[in-house]
Amino acid sequence: MTKKITTLNKVAIGVATAIAMSYGPTVSAGEAQWSGYVENATYFRDKKGLSKFRNTAQAEFYKPVESDGWSNVSINGVLRATYDGVYDLNDGEFGKNAGENYLGENWHDNNTASSSAVLNPGVAFPCENDPALCNNLDGYMDQDENDAKFSDFNDELDFIRELYITADKQLANGDIFNVTFGKQQVVWGKTDLFRVLDVVNPVDYSRHNIYDELEDIRIPQWMLTAEWRMGANNIFDDQNLQFIWNIDKFRPHNLGTCGQSYKMVDAGCFFASSIQGGGPYIINDVEEYDWNLKNTQFGVKWEGVYGDATFSLNALHYRQQLPSIHALGAPGDNFGLFDIHFPRVTLLGGAIDYYSMNMDATWRLEVAYTEGEEQPRDTNGYKETDMLRYVIGFDKNKIIPSLGTRSAFLISAQLFGEHILDHEVDMPNDEDNWIATGLFKGFYMNNRLSPQIIVAHDFAAKATAIAPSISFTPDNHWMFNLALNVKTGGDETFPWSVTGGDAGGGQTEPLARFLNGPIGVANQEDEIQFTVRYSF
Amino acid sequence: MLKKTLITLAVTAGLSVNAQAAQISEEVIQEAFHPYANSLPKADMVKPGMTINAGNVDSVKEYLDPAMYMFIKNGDYEMKVGETTSFDLHKSYVDATRKYSGDVKLGSKPGEISGSVAGRPFPQEPSLDDPRAGEKLAWNYKFGYNWGDSSAIYPFYWKYRDMNSGKVERTVKMNFHFLNFTHRTQQEPFPEITPNPSNLFRGIYVQVLEPFDVKDTQLLIQRFDDDLKRDNAYLYLGFQRRVRRLSSGQTTDAFLGSDVMIEDFEGYNGRISDMNWTYKGTKYILSPMYNHNEMVLDTETHKDDDGYQVIKFAGRGGCFPEITWQLRKTYVVESSPVDPNHPISKREHYMDAQTFIIPRNITYDRKGDMWKSWTIGQAHPDHHLPINKGTGVAIDDSFSMVDIQANHCTTGQFKGIVDPELTPPSKMTVQNLRASGR
Repeated sequence: MTKKITTLNKVAIGVATAIAMSYGPTVSAGEAQWSGYVENATYFRDKKGLSKFRNTAQAEFYKPVESDGWSNVSINGVLRATYDGVYDLNDGEFGKNAGENYLGENWHDNNTASSSAVLNPGVAFPCENDPALCNNLDGYMDQDENDAKFSDFNDELDFIRELYITADKQLANGDIFNVTFGKQQVVWGKTDLFRVLDVVNPVDYSRHNIYDELEDIRIPQWMLTAEWRMGANNIFDDQNLQFIWNIDKFRPHNLGTCGQSYKMVDAGCFFASSIQGGGPYIINDVEEYDWNLKNTQFGVKWEGVYGDATFSLNALHYRQQLPSIHALGAPGDNFGLFDIHFPRVTLLGGAIDYYSMNMDATWRLEVAYTEGEEQPRDTNGYKETDMLRYVIGFDKNKIIPSLGTRSAFLISAQLFGEHILDHEVDMPNDEDNWIATGLFKGFYMNNRLSPQIIVAHDFAAKATAIAPSISFTPDNHWMFNLALNVKTGGDETFPWSVTGGDAGGGQTEPLARFLNGPIGVANQEDEIQFTVRYSF
Repeated sequence: MLKKTLITLAVTAGLSVNAQAAQISEEVIQEAFHPYANSLPKADMVKPGMTINAGNVDSVKEYLDPAMYMFIKNGDYEMKVGETTSFDLHKSYVDATRKYSGDVKLGSKPGEISGSVAGRPFPQEPSLDDPRAGEKLAWNYKFGYNWGDSSAIYPFYWKYRDMNSGKVERTVKMNFHFLNFTHRTQQEPFPEITPNPSNLFRGIYVQVLEPFDVKDTQLLIQRFDDDLKRDNAYLYLGFQRRVRRLSSGQTTDAFLGSDVMIEDFEGYNGRISDMNWTYKGTKYILSPMYNHNEMVLDTETHKDDDGYQVIKFAGRGGCFPEITWQLRKTYVVESSPVDPNHPISKREHYMDAQTFIIPRNITYDRKGDMWKSWTIGQAHPDHHLPINKGTGVAIDDSFSMVDIQANHCTTGQFKGIVDPELTPPSKMTVQNLRASGR
């Protein structure tokens, strides 16, 4: 990648080095406390072989700092180094030499190619193999193979996962004013697996699609946050007002470059394809957003506790983190060629949870209404439309003696819904769609043995992911996790007008990838996964 | 006119009398709070300085609860006997008892009480003839002086041990904080913290420090003044970085996989109304109460600048605190769950008559077999950290929960600190969980 190291990142290097050398720039009130882990994650994919051989070392520190007039002042950081050996150990399947016979070979058969394919298969790691295409994708999907192998070491200094200073000011009335500045994650909302309000940080889906903990795949941003923690008053049991100012240069989600083992909806290969017969690349250019005040992102959240309910109201003015493809021309004139944009979006939303004593269960509701998002469509590339997303969640802890443990099982279910307000018939995404998720997790041997199963079903895609796993923690340091990740579906088709459409049921390329979603498009990514971690 | 004035004065005087608490006699107060003022309990076979072991345990059986007798008889533990000492509660709590307890009344149903503002609700000696005596003792425990108005265990080490091999499987390091919103007597403000729109009675906040896989886990339990209402419970998981609402009805869940149910905390950590309470009598029992600074201490587990060290554990599997036990006046109370699906059939609580803490519990499974044995060692505040001197708080200082059937135990080693600075009301908020996470 060719981006320049920003001033903020230079500061980050300096502070991180100072902490690491244990001589912070201020008078310390205590020693830096370090913890962390080393981990190997080895995954095997059906018919592909090794799909991940990721080795991670992560160190976290917390350094209290003495300050006059401020309390709880500390510098916090998370440093991470990753090497994924799959690109060396299985370079026939993944990496710069990986190739496909037709676009989408990794998730559907050759039905499109045999009928009316007009797109070439995507070029693996364009910046290794095709400088012109690399130039078109500059600033977005322009990683080379080393960027994928060592994903934390890039010009954004992602090996510094987090580095921030935080401080509290006790106000005269007992309220607390908090300021936090630095590279950080800000987490909103109450939803597991999917994001409705938790959209402040973009996400690196190339690490393991949607399946890793969001903590590990959110892309930390340089932000200034301020909070006014008001505590209780005569109405509310607790209140907080939070302001966020994301001053980092805009970064979109990382969906995975063509040639990587995880590519969300195979977008990486779609964007790295070209018109057959020596035609132009599908993507003409990626709009970049230089750092300036106008391009920063900001938000506000008011949250509190009222009786048995906790709630938040959220507003965020940010930039869409998924790419929007803008058509360059009409049929006959650059038709099928696109620029990638990331439009401005305004989000208004809220979340509430409630404990029902009669059911002994917790209900969660989270809603987000956005203005300014763009949805892909067939005949004109995109359309701006308001969007409504919501999640209804149900959580219950239940002791089930017949299953041989006296620890409570965690039972959780969610229904995630999406409604496109200005829907058009040539949009691959349905006007309404839902994804349901279920989690059942148990604990045995004093919680050292924990089996769980996660199921997710995408109704429009008719696709399902099933992920059973079992983890064993023999002591305070070691953890072993064995998992399966099996998907079905991904068979939905959608007509593409460039090829004249298909009244007989449509075709798979290129737009059905949006309809089939992250679960359906990963339908050939059934894996057995083994992770071993040593923490300290 | 004169008649009207006289009537008014008479009504006013009547109202004044009615507004005052009924008087509790000083004799009741002295017996309740200073049972050892005039004489110490004596038993022919129990002498301070002696060690009770498998060879001599039968001679002192009547001064031991059944589980401790069994452990000593089996050779799992040898018990050292210390002098009986008075654990005087703080004067403010005793004064609050004088002031308010005369007006306290049980409601028609278990879990209902009125007139309890602060202090011990029922300081009178329990009677076997009183069918609700057990319930009154349970209220005395719930509104007991316990950790005072606020305290912290800072830090707190939990070790999960295989009782057969002695192997320590897990060590979890935590901070615990306790804060009473109401029923306060010593730390300002009292008797309650305001505003308190949901009428919270107490908050318990737990922050896990180690090991890495559960680091940053936080738990907040908010208990209401209304005993019939279930707690609000919130969990912050470090890897999720957000606060989850917990269904709090599963109080028999094993806390962090330990042998301790959430319901077991401090001897009993549930609603009065979840149990049927029966007073079984008053006995003199050997209880785990001692002077911390005179005990054998663990030089490995905890080190800090104060030079403070935690209590050492010994006996079979390292499941028993290496402390002295003293003969104390004890109320034996049985609680059996209202819920027929509860995993236990009953608990025997051995409540210390002077302090109303519960140093010993025995839990029986559904079949009626002995299942778990709970010990929570109490350190005298004047022989502990200097900051605790004069607080009148019997300091929770060492615990052991032995799963007799599984041959497994969880032990706890404390650094208990009675310091309001460590536990301000802001500690007991959902925002604190989020802000203290990462």
